[in-house]
Amino acid sequence: MTVTMEPSLGDVHAVVEEVWSSFLGAEDPILPLPTPMPMPPGGWSAAITVSGGWDAQVTVQLTDPGAVHVTSTMLMCSEEDCTDEDLRDALGELVNMVGGNIKSLMAGAAVLSLPLVGHGDISPGSHLLEVCRLDLTWRGEPVVVTVHTPPPPAVA
Amino acid sequence: MHALIIDDSRTMRSILRRIVTELGFETTEAGNGQEALDHLESGLTPDICLIDWNMPLMDGYTFVTRVRADERWRNVTLMMVTTESEHGQIVRALAAGAHEYVIKPFTPDAIIEKMELLGLVAQEVPA
Repeated sequence: MTVTMEPSLGDVHAVVEEVWSSFLGAEDPILPLPTPMPMPPGGWSAAITVSGGWDAQVTVQLTDPGAVHVTSTMLMCSEEDCTDEDLRDALGELVNMVGGNIKSLMAGAAVLSLPLVGHGDISPGSHLLEVCRLDLTWRGEPVVVTVHTPPPPAVA
Repeated sequence: MHALIIDDSRTMRSILRRIVTELGFETTEAGNGQEALDHLESGLTPDICLIDWNMPLMDGYTFVTRVRADERWRNVTLMMVTTESEHGQIVRALAAGAHEYVIKPFTPDAIIEKMELLGLVAQEVPA
């Protein structure tokens, strides 16, 4: 991985793969979706903000079943036992690791916010632009990872 | 042996608890640095603290500086377990008195290896 001013798709994918293989089982890899598909309504979103030398919002979106798979795997509990509180906690930690490791690819010291997790979409600030989007699949469910950053300053 | 696991994520505490319990440790958990300090003030004497960096109320770095400033806890081993992977932050934490630094995501082997290096777990002897 290299330090750049904007994360490449390959680097973001490598980060996501590492997080997934460490905590969600290397035998069950997260794979690129050959054809991106829209996320079905509902689902869960987890977002974290990076601010400082590099400003961004990193978001992970999962379907309801995908979010439950992630949570039950991380907590090693049955899917029936996963509460919304469990989902918020597990998805928060997931986006914390993804966001933290993407941050480490970028130049300049920056700090991570605490994660924000919710049912449905978490819209990025209207001033932010999507600079990276990964459409992935894990256990047959779509997973979307996006990075939003402020637009570059206008050139006079 | 006793480990104090300090992380605002219940999920991460659960993952770390499984790893150190397998190693024979008893565990206590705290959701932030202040809660962890409260445990120490109330007489808990862990052999090791596993410490996240970003937490509400009191972050892991502040916890390390507070523990290292108090003679009562000079024998407690401190290991950061965090997503914060910038070189400057690692240097800051180690300079403040953390003994080891593990970056999330990690494998159980990475935690076990660090604990072996710290002398808290017997090293496996190759057959």
